[in-house]
Amino acid sequence: MIQVKELSKFYGDRQAVKNLSFTVNKGEVVGFLGPNGAGKSTTMKILTGYMAPTSGTVQISGFDIFEDPIEVKKRIGYLPETPPVYLDMTVQRYLEFCAKLKGVSSEAIDSSVDAALQKTALQQVRRRMIGNLSKGFRQRVGLAQALVSDPEILILDEPTVGLDPKQVAEMRTLIKELKGKHTIVLSTHILPEVQASCDKVIIINEGQIIAEDQIQGLSNRMAGGGHLKIRVLRKADQVAEELKRIEGVVDSSSTGNYLEVKTDGRDQVVEEISKKVVSLDAGLIELQTSTLSLEDIFIQLTDSTEKS
Amino acid sequence: MRNILTLAGKDFRSLATSPMFCLIAALCSVMWSFTFLRSLILFAENTQATFNPGPSPTLQMTVFLTHISQINLLFVFIVPALTMRLLAEEKKLRTYDLLLTAPITATEIALGKFLGAFGVILILVALSFLYPLATYPIAHFSFPPLLAAYLGVILVASTYVAVGVFASSLTQSVVLSVVMGLVFNLFLWFLSQGAESATGLYMTSVLEQISIGDHFMAFIRGSIRLKSIMFLLSCTGLFVFLTQRVVESSRWR
Repeated sequence: MIQVKELSKFYGDRQAVKNLSFTVNKGEVVGFLGPNGAGKSTTMKILTGYMAPTSGTVQISGFDIFEDPIEVKKRIGYLPETPPVYLDMTVQRYLEFCAKLKGVSSEAIDSSVDAALQKTALQQVRRRMIGNLSKGFRQRVGLAQALVSDPEILILDEPTVGLDPKQVAEMRTLIKELKGKHTIVLSTHILPEVQASCDKVIIINEGQIIAEDQIQGLSNRMAGGGHLKIRVLRKADQVAEELKRIEGVVDSSSTGNYLEVKTDGRDQVVEEISKKVVSLDAGLIELQTSTLSLEDIFIQLTDSTEKS
Repeated sequence: MRNILTLAGKDFRSLATSPMFCLIAALCSVMWSFTFLRSLILFAENTQATFNPGPSPTLQMTVFLTHISQINLLFVFIVPALTMRLLAEEKKLRTYDLLLTAPITATEIALGKFLGAFGVILILVALSFLYPLATYPIAHFSFPPLLAAYLGVILVASTYVAVGVFASSLTQSVVLSVVMGLVFNLFLWFLSQGAESATGLYMTSVLEQISIGDHFMAFIRGSIRLKSIMFLLSCTGLFVFLTQRVVESSRWR
């Protein structure tokens, strides 16, 4: 569906995107993850035909963005970082305008606009001026704009930025609902978003891909080494010392009544640890195993590229 | 074609219904009402009071000429103010992204913007035409020269609109856009001043021909010259083309 080969983009001397190559298959939801300034927006702008890359090729549904920009644009719905809405238009009129602009046939305009309004739950505000709507609603109008021509591919640039937690949750549900109907590429620097809605994640830093995997695979890959959090009522220091003697415990330390223990990841080690804590009569009230979250993976990956 | 009309329709509607346009139209009609009536009365007094040997002054060359020069003068300032937002504000509000990622070409964007604004200016032209029209029942004059003069007004206005859209495409700042449009318009007029001071017959005639003034005056006198039509249409075409280049270039920068 989307094939990107050795994409590079220079802004003057600064290289924003370095030799990016990846593919997105039909129906996939791909998260584009990276810190601010990593080159996410630039890549997305290139995908939509908004700007041309310095070198490299992009093919979308078999059309090259250089050769057939119009054909490519017909197949893409794009929600930029700032929703591209006209403040002096009503929601309804704006969407009609977008539908016409995107080549929806005159007979189909009403039904497309209705469908987009329904998908984004905007029927209540369809007659209101966009300028009078809240940020969350504007964002949804922006998404409705991307959906109005029912494109094969949706490109969403930081769709939840600047929204309040409730609106963020709504936006995520919305994206989940769109799953399966469209191929979606979304960029974000908020990690739970990727975990919540994506099948595949591409982590990018300083213009380069540093990891590309299924979400599950990525966490498995990084999970090596278990991590335990223990809370006791007393003797925390003593417990920490004792635990270090257990085979398989890499490190253990205590702060107040909390203990942090690193193990080699085997379940038997956890069993030994719990036995030991109980036998020491330290008053075990909490024992928690934790795997690395995307957040940790992300920090580790971006840190390691910075060091290297 | 459909894309051009979609864009033009949207801009026409949002401009024509904007408070700014209503205010401008109202102020223009206040000014025209005042000056047109004044010069009409003056004309009436002159023709009655004095006996002039030779050809008597006509309405066309006195009242209408003043009126139309005034329209032109106003348009030099008003048109950039109406076109300033067309592309500059799209850039600022990031709605430009929508246009550039929609399946439309840069040519369609440039033409759509031009036609939308041109339509709005035609409303003002129509408004100003009411004055000579209202004179018809009370004073007899020949209509064709007036129509020729209005053809000139429309062509000159289209040049100003093209210039304004081009100025708007160059910047994100609305203020800069209006100032640039104004300066470009004035420059098109002041070229003829260069003709007066230029040395050499060749240079003088070139500068005369490429200044709007000479062509516009011919229309006001009631003569339709093909070269003047072609000149003003080419000016419009040139600036629409330049706008198209600027819009297109944003894909490569």
